[in-house]
Amino acid sequence: MRSISRACTAAAAVLAMSLAATACGDDSGSGEGQAAGGKTTITFWDNNGGVRTPIYQELIKRFEQANPTIHVEYVGIPIASVQQKYDTAVAGGETPDVGGVTTSYLANLTGQGALEPADDWLAKSSLNGKLVENMLASVKQTTPDGKLYLVPATSNLDVVWYQKDKLDAAKVTAPKSWDEFFTAVDKLTKTPDQYGWTIRGGAGAIFQLLAEAYAYSGVNTFFDASGKSTVNDPKNVELVAKIAALYKKNTPEADVTNDFPKMVAQFTSGKVAMMHHNLGSYNDHVKAFGADKVDAFPLPVGLSGKRTVVANPVDGFAVFKNSKNKDAAWKFVDFLLSKESNSYWNQQTGQIPANTDAQGDSWLAERPYLKSAVETLGSPDTVVVSPPYYLPQFSSITKADTEPLFQKVLLGQMKPQEFLDTMAQKLTEAQEEWKKAHS
Amino acid sequence: MALARTTGARGGPRALRWAPYLLISPTVLLIAVFLVYPIGSVLYYSLQHYNLTKPWANGFAGLENFREMLFEDPLFWSSLAFTAKWVVVEIGLQLLLGLALALIVNESFIGRGLARSLVFSPWAVSGVLTTGIWILLYNPTTGIVRYLGAPEAAVLGNPDTVFGAVVLTELWRGVPFFAILLLAGLQGIPGELYEAAAVDGAGRVRRFAHVTLPHLRDAIVLATLLRSVWEFNNVDLLYTLTGGGPAQVTTTLPLYVAQRAIDSKDFGYGSALTTAGFLILLFCSLLYLRLSRFGADHKG
Amino acid sequence: MATDVIARRRVPARARAARGGMRGGDRGRIVRLYLPLALYLLFTLIPFYWMIVFALRPAGSTAPVPWPITFEHFETVWNDIGYAVFFRNSVIIGVLSLFLTTAIALMGGYALARFRFRGRTFFMVALLCTQFIPGAMMLIPLFTIFRGLGLINSLWSLVVADTVFNLPLSIILMSGFVAAVPFQVEEAAMVDGCTRRRAFFAVVLPQLRPGLIAVGSFAFIHTWNNFLFALMFISKQDNFTIPVGLSYTIGEYSADFGALAAGGVVAAVPVVCVFAVIQRYLVHGISAGAVKG
Repeated sequence: MRSISRACTAAAAVLAMSLAATACGDDSGSGEGQAAGGKTTITFWDNNGGVRTPIYQELIKRFEQANPTIHVEYVGIPIASVQQKYDTAVAGGETPDVGGVTTSYLANLTGQGALEPADDWLAKSSLNGKLVENMLASVKQTTPDGKLYLVPATSNLDVVWYQKDKLDAAKVTAPKSWDEFFTAVDKLTKTPDQYGWTIRGGAGAIFQLLAEAYAYSGVNTFFDASGKSTVNDPKNVELVAKIAALYKKNTPEADVTNDFPKMVAQFTSGKVAMMHHNLGSYNDHVKAFGADKVDAFPLPVGLSGKRTVVANPVDGFAVFKNSKNKDAAWKFVDFLLSKESNSYWNQQTGQIPANTDAQGDSWLAERPYLKSAVETLGSPDTVVVSPPYYLPQFSSITKADTEPLFQKVLLGQMKPQEFLDTMAQKLTEAQEEWKKAHS
Repeated sequence: MALARTTGARGGPRALRWAPYLLISPTVLLIAVFLVYPIGSVLYYSLQHYNLTKPWANGFAGLENFREMLFEDPLFWSSLAFTAKWVVVEIGLQLLLGLALALIVNESFIGRGLARSLVFSPWAVSGVLTTGIWILLYNPTTGIVRYLGAPEAAVLGNPDTVFGAVVLTELWRGVPFFAILLLAGLQGIPGELYEAAAVDGAGRVRRFAHVTLPHLRDAIVLATLLRSVWEFNNVDLLYTLTGGGPAQVTTTLPLYVAQRAIDSKDFGYGSALTTAGFLILLFCSLLYLRLSRFGADHKG
Repeated sequence: MATDVIARRRVPARARAARGGMRGGDRGRIVRLYLPLALYLLFTLIPFYWMIVFALRPAGSTAPVPWPITFEHFETVWNDIGYAVFFRNSVIIGVLSLFLTTAIALMGGYALARFRFRGRTFFMVALLCTQFIPGAMMLIPLFTIFRGLGLINSLWSLVVADTVFNLPLSIILMSGFVAAVPFQVEEAAMVDGCTRRRAFFAVVLPQLRPGLIAVGSFAFIHTWNNFLFALMFISKQDNFTIPVGLSYTIGEYSADFGALAAGGVVAAVPVVCVFAVIQRYLVHGISAGAVKG
């Protein structure tokens, strides 16, 4: 016993010393932003740490070579916890210099006064005029003061991923209309070995459902002229009913609790022929099937005859107000959005560059689905419906408040009409409240 | 416990009067520095409107949050009812299985060391990982159920089976806690007692009832209490396994708190819900300790 | 002393032999011991097996066995995601928190079990109360405190925070273990001329070995698995821990179950190995009788 305890004490001492050593060694760099040798250190938080980490590590390496006086410290935040991390950091006063931010929580961050507007920087930057115009507009709409608090980096679009050989085997081509789509789903279903479709019923369900509903109905605004939500438009209700009818008939029963990982697990297991997500899951599918086995088509054109797209949240970079090295921070943002970096990042993730110069790069043309996505987004015939990301409550209404209700719809415990009426009412109220607070 | 009164054989009564305070001082210090303020802040915010998504409406709320919770929020009551069911079923089964397991691996047999480390190992698996594994197991397309002759069963998606599925998952991770603790408790039982009981002709069952169980009593009382509190507040498993669904049938009170305070950023209301949970746990714990006559002189 | 331990372990066997023939005992043992154990092992091991299958088979494979075998997921987590660093950090905070928790809990538990002092009940209830509020609700005040102490981004914030949250449970459990050691043992040593402190180290501590191991392993595992504090108090890639690494593999744009499983194997294997080593100490301590003799 004596010898055990002595060994333990020794081990603890060694650990404590090594800890002290690492802690001290590391601490000098962070916080104040000034390290030895006159080097400026800035921290960068990646809002989707993990698979994208190597992409940023490469970009940071390139940046530091071009700017030897700046050191960028990368911190990867898991996407599921990124809002909680930002909220804690803002409340605790320990924000990064630069962070990955999307418009789905931008209003919350600016509401707490955490971010620095980018308008002045952009006006002087060589990137002025190079970033996709409607994305800049959509960012500015998100905040009451109309300033640009986040610099868009990537454009995304909802698509339907499918396994080529499954469609070939059933002699189905990528559907163009919703009728074709539902026929295809039926043809592709051979229970219990294969399902034509998978429904996202768990976390993140509502956004995808709305994207489908508006694509189907062709309704072109989120609120009508009187400020009432259009979510419960009869045509939207019709689509939700049609989707709910697929549940268990053409889709796995497990769908009702599907979040992204579960949905992808089903799709990549090969049992599901088609799956709705966005461009960003490209790498998952390629890893599972190989680049030549999987492809995507945009959501079908609906009753209006015009392609209607619900705008995805804009993902990009923001500089935080507390940053002590704003010059270096903007320099880094500038670098990340340069043609070369922006092209590299989007090529790796399979999304569309926000830098229009980078959109002409050859890798885009080599992926037909991506090329058609660029065309869809750029086409004057496409109707873009912008969800009210400026409502700070938007994310809780479309997540915690209504996800369980959609599950009830799938389980047959609630009618689609009642579900959409409830959501519409919440959105209308939130809109009124917001207008009152900002008038 | 009775023996505590007989302390002071050496070192003098004066020195001993301070000894317990000295011994608990590090704990008291740590709690005072790190927990008093955070707990106080939760109680404080329960009386405030504090919602990041409606900054214009923040301010003193009085008992408004509690009124809404008690009279206008059916989910508070349903989540509370589910929490009670969850804790009782989960702890009851964990205790039974844990005790059985402890007794089994306390016997001597070949490969005992290996068996012990294997049955204890799920305890070492974190919540994120437990749910990750069990999602894969339960999902009909990726899981193991399809080899068990039920290719279509989506246990997590069906309101009738989801409870059994989440209970099983938490058992997997929770039983080893009881098993380890009770196994450690078993070591305190002097072997002579069993020998004496065996000489008296007591069978296995009677030896268990008259020797083992009384000796484990305190350990069982404490472990069930502490684990109940822990299971009550356990969010990570259900949050990732079912997200409280389908259709809210597996939403516990703390899961509901997480949804309101963290996802919907309504920290004031979340604090009120937490305060309610705090008071309920406090009441139940005191009642439980009283009813179990914990610390009473039962050994003499 | 060693023989004493062995003799004690054999007690049940001897008692059984006294009751009836060996053959009946064997059948009883199968029903009573091996069958339930085998069933429980099956229940325990299937999820592990499934994790290993996912960790070792290529992405996209649906085979029920890890064949063809691949180590690509392990390379991903260890090199790309950075498990090499996370692993080191988790070990450091786990071990430090284990020692801190166990030492402080031993003191507190001893005080609760051996002394009746004014405020004892209050102390006990206060300990319980600290467990009634989920950590997630206290994040921002805790963050503020650690920031005030200059510990944000340091592994010490995790060591301290996890110790503080481990303590109440550990103290209460430890008091149970101390109470189970008969006070006469301690008294006898003191009568022999030991001071109370020496009596504690010489005779009580060895008997607490199973309890120390149980409490210590709880502390270690809680710390090892704590995701929330690690992510919230640390904003430095090189100071993250394994649970943060695990959460990297599952998210909106990556559902890499192979990497999750491989990360899980990395996280679980060392703990299982440590269990395998320490479980042998979960046996009778030196008994009261041995000291008297």
